Amino acid sequence: MSHQIPLSSSVPQVNCLDLWRAENDRLVRQAKVAQDSDLSLRRQQLAQDSLEGFRGLLHSLLGLPAAVLVLPLELTVICNFTTLRVSLAQGFTEDQAQDIQHGLERVLETQKQLGPRLEGGLMELWNSVLHVSSLPPELLPALHHLAGLQAALWLSTDRLGDLTLLLQTLNGSQSEASGDLLLLLKTWNPPAKASDDPLTLQDAQRLRDVLLTASAFRQGLQELTTGSLPRALSSLYEAASGLCPRPVLVQVYTALGTCLRKMGSPQRALLYLVAALKGESICGPPLLEASRLYRQLGNTAAELESLELLVEALNVIPSSEVPHFLIEVELLLPRPDPASPLHCGTLSQVKYLLASRCLQMGRAEDAVEHYLDLLALLLDGSEPKFSPPTCPPGPCMPEVFLEAAAALIQAGRAQDALTVCEELLSRTSSLLPKMPQPWKDARKGTKESPQCPSWVSATYLLQGQAWVQLGDQKQAISEFSRCLELLFRATPKDKEQGPASNCEQGYTSDVELQQLRAAALISRGLEWGASGQDTKALQDFLLSVQVYPGNGDASFHLLQTLKRLDRRDEATALWQRLEAQTKLPQENATWSLPLYLETCLSWIRPPDREALLEEFGTSLQEPCDL
Amino acid sequence: MAGLAPRVDYLAGFSFPVGGLAAGKPRVLRLGAEILLSTGRELVYVFDSGGRQLTAVYRFPGQVWHLEVLALRRMLFVLCAWSGVYCLSLDQAGRSVSQSERDEEDSEPPAPVIPVDPDACVLPDATLRAFTVLDGALVTLAQGTAQWKLQLFECPGPGQARPLGKTGEVELSASTPPAGGPGKPEAPRFLPVLCCVSPPGCGASHGLQRGPRGFVLEGALFGLLFGMDATLLESPVVLCGLPDGQLCCVILKTLVTCSSAPGDPKALVRTLHHLEEPVIFIGALRTEPLPEDGEDTRCDCLVALGHRGRTLAVKASRDGAGSPVPELREYCLPGPVLCAACGRGGRVYHSTPTSLCLVDLARGSAPWLGEEADVPAAGLGGLPSLLCPANLSICSVVTLTVSPRPPGGGTELLALSARGRLLTCHLEQSPEAPWPSRGTTMDTGRKIKDLLCSISTISERASSLRRAVEQRDQALTRLNEALNVSCALLSRREGPRPISCTTTTAWGRRELRDVLTATCLLESSGGPRLGRGWVLCVQVLPGARAPDPEAAGPAMTYTVPVDQLGPGGRREVTLALGPGEDGVLDLPVTVCCALFCSLQEALGGALAPSGSFGDASRDEDRPDTLPGPGGICLPLSEHTVDLLQGLRFPGLAVPPAQASGPSGPAPDPVDTFLEACCRPAGPEPPRATYLPPSMAAITVSAELLRAAWGGRFSGTSLSCATLQWLLAENASVDAVRARALSSIEGVAPDGTDVRLTVHEVAVADVCPTGPLQAAEIQVQSCSLASVCGVHGAVLRRMQRVVEEQAARGSSPPDLRMQHLHQTQASHEALLREVRMLRDQLCEEDGAGSRAATATERLLRVYRQLRSPGLLLL
Repeated sequence: MSHQIPLSSSVPQVNCLDLWRAENDRLVRQAKVAQDSDLSLRRQQLAQDSLEGFRGLLHSLLGLPAAVLVLPLELTVICNFTTLRVSLAQGFTEDQAQDIQHGLERVLETQKQLGPRLEGGLMELWNSVLHVSSLPPELLPALHHLAGLQAALWLSTDRLGDLTLLLQTLNGSQSEASGDLLLLLKTWNPPAKASDDPLTLQDAQRLRDVLLTASAFRQGLQELTTGSLPRALSSLYEAASGLCPRPVLVQVYTALGTCLRKMGSPQRALLYLVAALKGESICGPPLLEASRLYRQLGNTAAELESLELLVEALNVIPSSEVPHFLIEVELLLPRPDPASPLHCGTLSQVKYLLASRCLQMGRAEDAVEHYLDLLALLLDGSEPKFSPPTCPPGPCMPEVFLEAAAALIQAGRAQDALTVCEELLSRTSSLLPKMPQPWKDARKGTKESPQCPSWVSATYLLQGQAWVQLGDQKQAISEFSRCLELLFRATPKDKEQGPASNCEQGYTSDVELQQLRAAALISRGLEWGASGQDTKALQDFLLSVQVYPGNGDASFHLLQTLKRLDRRDEATALWQRLEAQTKLPQENATWSLPLYLETCLSWIRPPDREALLEEFGTSLQEPCDL
Repeated sequence: MAGLAPRVDYLAGFSFPVGGLAAGKPRVLRLGAEILLSTGRELVYVFDSGGRQLTAVYRFPGQVWHLEVLALRRMLFVLCAWSGVYCLSLDQAGRSVSQSERDEEDSEPPAPVIPVDPDACVLPDATLRAFTVLDGALVTLAQGTAQWKLQLFECPGPGQARPLGKTGEVELSASTPPAGGPGKPEAPRFLPVLCCVSPPGCGASHGLQRGPRGFVLEGALFGLLFGMDATLLESPVVLCGLPDGQLCCVILKTLVTCSSAPGDPKALVRTLHHLEEPVIFIGALRTEPLPEDGEDTRCDCLVALGHRGRTLAVKASRDGAGSPVPELREYCLPGPVLCAACGRGGRVYHSTPTSLCLVDLARGSAPWLGEEADVPAAGLGGLPSLLCPANLSICSVVTLTVSPRPPGGGTELLALSARGRLLTCHLEQSPEAPWPSRGTTMDTGRKIKDLLCSISTISERASSLRRAVEQRDQALTRLNEALNVSCALLSRREGPRPISCTTTTAWGRRELRDVLTATCLLESSGGPRLGRGWVLCVQVLPGARAPDPEAAGPAMTYTVPVDQLGPGGRREVTLALGPGEDGVLDLPVTVCCALFCSLQEALGGALAPSGSFGDASRDEDRPDTLPGPGGICLPLSEHTVDLLQGLRFPGLAVPPAQASGPSGPAPDPVDTFLEACCRPAGPEPPRATYLPPSMAAITVSAELLRAAWGGRFSGTSLSCATLQWLLAENASVDAVRARALSSIEGVAPDGTDVRLTVHEVAVADVCPTGPLQAAEIQVQSCSLASVCGVHGAVLRRMQRVVEEQAARGSSPPDLRMQHLHQTQASHEALLREVRMLRDQLCEEDGAGSRAATATERLLRVYRQLRSPGLLLL
């Protein structure tokens, strides 16, 4: 776009400088008109036009040699251009650094100092500009404004060392000893603009206030993650006391809540969270923080309630905030990572959290409802805006299916659980290895058998459990057998090539595989037992004890079966071992097993171990006494 | 091979720039009987293939980079360069807009040109580089400073007033060079490519349907490429082919836009492959027949083509144990690939500047090659190990599309050639079967027309081949010439060279300013002639040649094409040495002349693979195929322009240009304006005129001078002759000679006066044999810089003389050693002082009062060294 300055001859007294300045003022006004415009497309176009206008004006100014008289205007245009560009793009890029560098080089050009200092980087450039002894005072307001933008750029890219140096230089030598960023920002006093200076989109004073709040907040968040809580608290107080738009204030309060919760004062944390939620629009992070707080306090009802509220809050599509064409605090904040208190996840992630908490807390009915909601949300896909909980720390999709099935069985809806399992298998059937026929296997002999991901065997396990609930022992036994067939073929920690996601890498841990095997064996043994085939049951229980000696449940089932088969000697030996084990301090192995496996294990746990041991003990002693 | 010839039908011609259309931006699409077409300029044409006429032409505010159309809703989406995505309904737009404006520069469209309203822009964003439409969403790819950003929007409707709701975004980690400066960036040479693929279950009931350019992949391939989660979610996936060669994928359903939970690029974006050359095309096709007699829609093979022909094909297969594994193969097809398309039956069509080729991924070879072709048999259902492209004898197709279901079976390609021709190309289903010979008149007419069409394409091809051969011939001739010239110049070290270059300087007036110009005269005195491709390179280096080559500042190189220089021919190049706009002319400078023959220029288009069409596409391919900026460089001469040549003598009043007097360079008017703005006109800063004039002197023995002159200047007094010799290369030497001057006053380029005086002296106490006749050369000026410059120039001449004498082996006269020792001792003392002062100056970095005194002392030492000056014998 060519930008032409009308050098009309009709008004002979007008000089270029005035024309350029008038153009700058017009563009600033246009951007402000755009800001207030209701039609957002129109708004965006107007803003884009202004941006192009500034670009063209800057181009014209750069076409001439730098001169002290024009420089304040030129620097102001650079500031306006950068401000508008950053706010339109919602972030700083390398381009802004270049624009600022151009501006500084132009300043040096007028001072005839543009020499070999170019390679020293931006900080070096700032040093030379600010140390020019004969810097014309009329340049100072624009230079400080530009320095403010540079500070914002460095703050957003985390170059705090340079930022501190810059502020020290700006403040003069008296505060050179202090390296405290907040203190430096507070003492920095950008010179006020004169009334006849060219218009700016945002003045330096306001920019400084924004910088102060943003850096206090950033510092607080960082200290919160590194664990220096008292310092985080004071930084966050500082941020909350500064100039703060409402959404930022909510974030600061949430971070304060997190900080206070970690410091062990939940009541004060709660106060801040309530304050954060008082605004007109409910947003996620404080609700999630509240659920964590209630979980810590052991108040399950309140925890689940806040999670439900969070789901509702996330369901409401946020009315898109109209961003101002200014550098604002939000632009200077880091993007929240999952560890940050400001990260609250998407609707599906929260829904998953709610469902799994319900299942963990034994509220099977609620869990079922939430899991089914979640699956509908993910699979129907009528709205593409929901992210499934696929991020690496979360569970992967098959696990969500399995947990849903487990919840259904827990809630007594075995038929539905079977449907969910079948759906899972049918959707992934093309990716699963073909089941090798046994006679082919025998012929090939040495050939390796295909590996299946662990969740496939787990699906069969859950299907078997569903059949157990439905009372079909034959089906159940055949599902358990399929499950075991797959499980005994697998080797743990087998990192398969191919797409690298959690659930496609084979088994995540040894313990998980062993537990799965034990669970399947016990389940089948129980079914054999129930159908009266105690010898087969005995075999399975024996195997499961071997497979995972740490699992006490298997031994108890074994003991019962031995007793039923009347093999007293073996039963006694086993009982004695178990008695010895119970007297030892129980090492509570906290393996983090998948939730579906935990749930499944809870089903096959013998109802009352202590009573069983006691009863067996007395029954043993009776004949001895005789 | 006769069976390879497809039936080509010429539909229409569109305007094209000089050199033909460049590939990458033109698009052609078929929508029922309508054909939508853009040639990379502002216009989008709607062509009715039934009536064979244009029905509408839309003018967009910028160059059109991409087109897509939603068939059911008849909505057209257009990406305009630097502006954004426009959306308009094909039914309404034509009627609602008044058919007023007629296009002047394009005379051919008979249809009305409908200007598209800026309000039709549904997504204003200057950084967009590509987009694709799904039924429920718009996927865009924007170029940031350091990365690409993929964004997902809800699908817009025409005339939408509010901005599109963004439903997801993620950054692709790929580095692109940042656009520098506040100016507008250049148009990218390669645009990224987007392609949408869906799993089989992703049916009509879902919101995210596949769009017009989407493919449905078989479940196994989809799962292997994109993972279990994408399969379970039945989510469409967008594949991005970036200009750096990266091929990455994004699962659309996992994208989020929530500010409190930004998507992690590492989790959301997966790089599938790296082609290491710009990705031109991504598509999918079916290589195996479906077991049931179903639709040919589930693709089992993903294909990506790079610019230089590297091709990736991925298929799902099962390993020995029965687990599904991806089978991935890379092929090398002839490049550069301009565009490509996937057809049915496992065929990939791709276009290069010389031909449109067809490969069959189902069989490896073109179907017509049949059994006799030497193609290794592929494994059962696997990909062929080798691809043999079959040539369809159509050249320089810049965009290509395969019609979905042409009437009468077979395959129909829709293509736009670089010459702006819209073609359809029919390939028969079973090419073994001859064309129908049942001779109805209609058939015959049709056949004749087909024959004529194919004749025209063949003649276009033949002419292109002929041109290629001619270019090759010319290139060989030029290479031969170049070698002859090199031999002639390099073999003859002594004696006059057949081609020589001399440099002279003179003052002239140019644009209200006095400038010193150097004139290089290239002369050929027989020998080989210089043809096209030779350029005269004149390099102006600051500083004299010998002393310190590395301390030199920036050099300027001027290249002037020497167009045909035969024996006896001469070519003159005049260039201004300065003073530039800053009024400074730093002498001495060295002017080096060399002849350079660029291989690129000499070989011309002969090495480019496209003999067939225009410059635009050749430029595009040049970096890949030509041997870089190499060439033959033959140094001719080197000439140092020093202050003695830069002096002007207004007193002699020979050059008439001196009428205005020795004014400095005239100031730039804009400078004047700005200066006037800056400060009220004040007095000029005081010149250093009150300083005593500096002086330097050199004494040279007459014997040395005479020996150097040989027979010249006989009959002239020693002082006059010396002055004439010194000013020999100055333009005013004739006036000096005519007046027999021994002293002269001149003006240096910076405007200071310089006085040169030569005395005849007798040096008494050097030689034991008696006083020695010598010439004392005095340089006097109030500007120290001018004294230094002239003194340096004189010294350089003396140095040359002494070197020449030493080379001739002449012995110096008898000297009194004691005098020499004395001189050396005093000079060494001075040298020590100079070193000390210099160190002192370095430490203090040029500031402070001590430095000022040090500078003062240095100046004094300089004067002591220069006057009484050096004695040369």
